Amino acid sequence: MIRPLKLAIIGGGPSGFYLASRLLSLFPQSYADSLRVHIFDRLWAPHGLVRYGVAPDHPEVKNCTHKFDSAASDPRLKFFGNVNVASNGVDALNSVPSSSLKKNYTHLVFATGCTEPNMHPLLPRDDGIIPALDIVHWYTRHPSNPSPPPLSSTNHVSIIGMGNVSLDVARMLLCPPSILEKYDVPSHVLDALRNSKVKHVSVIGRRGPLEAAFTTKELREMMNLPDVALRPLEKSVLDVQASTRQQSRTLDLLKKGSKAAFGTTLKTWSLDFYRNPIGVTVPSSKSPSYSLSLGHTTVDSVTKRAGPLLDPKGAPITSVLPTSLIVPAMGFHAEPSSAAPYAQWYDLDQKYIKTLPGGRVSTTNLDTEEPKIYASGWAATGAKGVLASTMMNAYSVAEAILEDWTNLTPSSTNSNTHPVAISSSPWDAPPPEILDGLSSANITTYEDWLAVDAEEVRRASAGGKERERMDWNEAKKFLYDTARQKR
Amino acid sequence: MNCAFKRDLARSFSQTLRPRFRSHRRGIQTDFRTTKPSGNLLLAHLLSKAEKRGLQLSTSQSRSFHSTTTSAHGDITRPEPGTGIKVNFKDSKGNLIKTVEASEGDDILGIAHEYDIDLEGACEGSVACSTCHVILSPEYYDLLPEPEDDENDMLDMAFGLTDTSRLGCQVKLTKELDGITATLPSATRNMFVDGKKPTHH
Repeated sequence: MIRPLKLAIIGGGPSGFYLASRLLSLFPQSYADSLRVHIFDRLWAPHGLVRYGVAPDHPEVKNCTHKFDSAASDPRLKFFGNVNVASNGVDALNSVPSSSLKKNYTHLVFATGCTEPNMHPLLPRDDGIIPALDIVHWYTRHPSNPSPPPLSSTNHVSIIGMGNVSLDVARMLLCPPSILEKYDVPSHVLDALRNSKVKHVSVIGRRGPLEAAFTTKELREMMNLPDVALRPLEKSVLDVQASTRQQSRTLDLLKKGSKAAFGTTLKTWSLDFYRNPIGVTVPSSKSPSYSLSLGHTTVDSVTKRAGPLLDPKGAPITSVLPTSLIVPAMGFHAEPSSAAPYAQWYDLDQKYIKTLPGGRVSTTNLDTEEPKIYASGWAATGAKGVLASTMMNAYSVAEAILEDWTNLTPSSTNSNTHPVAISSSPWDAPPPEILDGLSSANITTYEDWLAVDAEEVRRASAGGKERERMDWNEAKKFLYDTARQKR
Repeated sequence: MNCAFKRDLARSFSQTLRPRFRSHRRGIQTDFRTTKPSGNLLLAHLLSKAEKRGLQLSTSQSRSFHSTTTSAHGDITRPEPGTGIKVNFKDSKGNLIKTVEASEGDDILGIAHEYDIDLEGACEGSVACSTCHVILSPEYYDLLPEPEDDENDMLDMAFGLTDTSRLGCQVKLTKELDGITATLPSATRNMFVDGKKPTHH
């Protein structure tokens, strides 16, 4: 018998599914039945950031799920949702110790992404200091179920950071709800947006237009928002030399400004370049709003680092921005928890898993019976790049796995050793903890997801809306009722 | 065994690999080779989803931020041999992968999928990603209408961008494009392996 490739992927986001899809299609046809791929996700629904990150008004980006559905239709791929993989036997529901995965799989991939927001040290969480991730989780109905942002008492929002997540949040807060209501926005979110008092969103960055991380697509969308105007930028801010195509196109957009003229709209936004938060005063009886202190900066032309801008006497120039809601949107990192199954390979400086070429994590000899370990996607690269870069990274890991498996496969002449170190029986079964969870219906399968997916679309279609999202309690009830009807 | 196996594997790796599971929009009824107990349910679901997405996409065009039609793919019919517009696909090293024939109005992404060229279309032709980036020969590039802003926005993020880069989904064949060459970009999947990382969100 040829040594099977039984792969566990921890994390069912785009990286995990792209990897699985690539492996299924590259795997040699003549050995097709020697491959199994099991994807585990902590959440009940698959697709990670495609479901719980992509902005509702970007439905085209979610088209990649067709490919994931197609991969999942291969009987060699199985998805198990609501499964928490921990480094040791955590005594929690549906928890699988990574030791169990090691016993049951020949290859392991961490595709766990970057799930934690980078916070600004001077801006700790508070009633009015809410990381952008919480707002994204709120409008995507993520199982973390954060408190809604206090939009009915907020007129000025300060977003710290200039990436696409910043602009996603700004766009969601400024876009007329009448446009958003067609999309995959939960009803309670639409209600809150309709009652929002937000009039201005400041997008604040330490550096200038050349260093901003947002893409031209996102910037253009902001410029085209109906009835929302960009406060025109000072000429000096735009007086910089672009060196890439993207930079020059960004500058062109900034020079043109928003379609709606400033002064003609109720809602406005601004790009506050060269501003660095240096402190905050929380609301008090004297002042009902936050006071965000900003140090003015200048960017070193060589190092591209921001440093304080000084007045002629050498004192730092600062200003104070009164604001009602502060939203740090400064990127994400992989969870540094010691209970994370990848803890031993976690790079504390970079805040993601250290990898070798091909996403390889373990350096053990190819012929040991330990599973080969890999990391893919943001878990291995940090929170950078668009979906296409995650896809290419996942493909490179899939190819490395296949290469390693090929090198590992014993020839028929010396295959006396047991062909595989996996202890499960039958060989392609998931670990016993998973079988237990499946029998108690706490663990979701891809079939469960497809049923929920169709139901979410069905529930929304009457209102001409893309979908109406369920939370886990609703999904659980729906799955339970469906199963009961079938009996 | 091992020898045959490696040969098999090498074939799988080759540029012209035939995906076992073809993309959703190319007619899922016939494309899934495998069956499983819940296959019918899955199929029914995918079909209804396709319809709903189709409907939703067509209604969203009038108000969406994009002006590009999203449902163009999946209906490519191969012309009678010798009667179609010829398209050459080359790999990043300039080696010919294959020359195929297609009809007026077909786009490069759809043609690539029809003929199993390894060109991705993550957003399925809705100009929301850059995975179908191809490099054209200059004389053909000049025959095409200028890219729209939304295509340029996506090209900004393409790997290995050149002066004659386009998104495959936006290149629609006309008779004068007969003989066009589309080269897959050199952005290899090993770019991460080499330690390079994209810098933009």
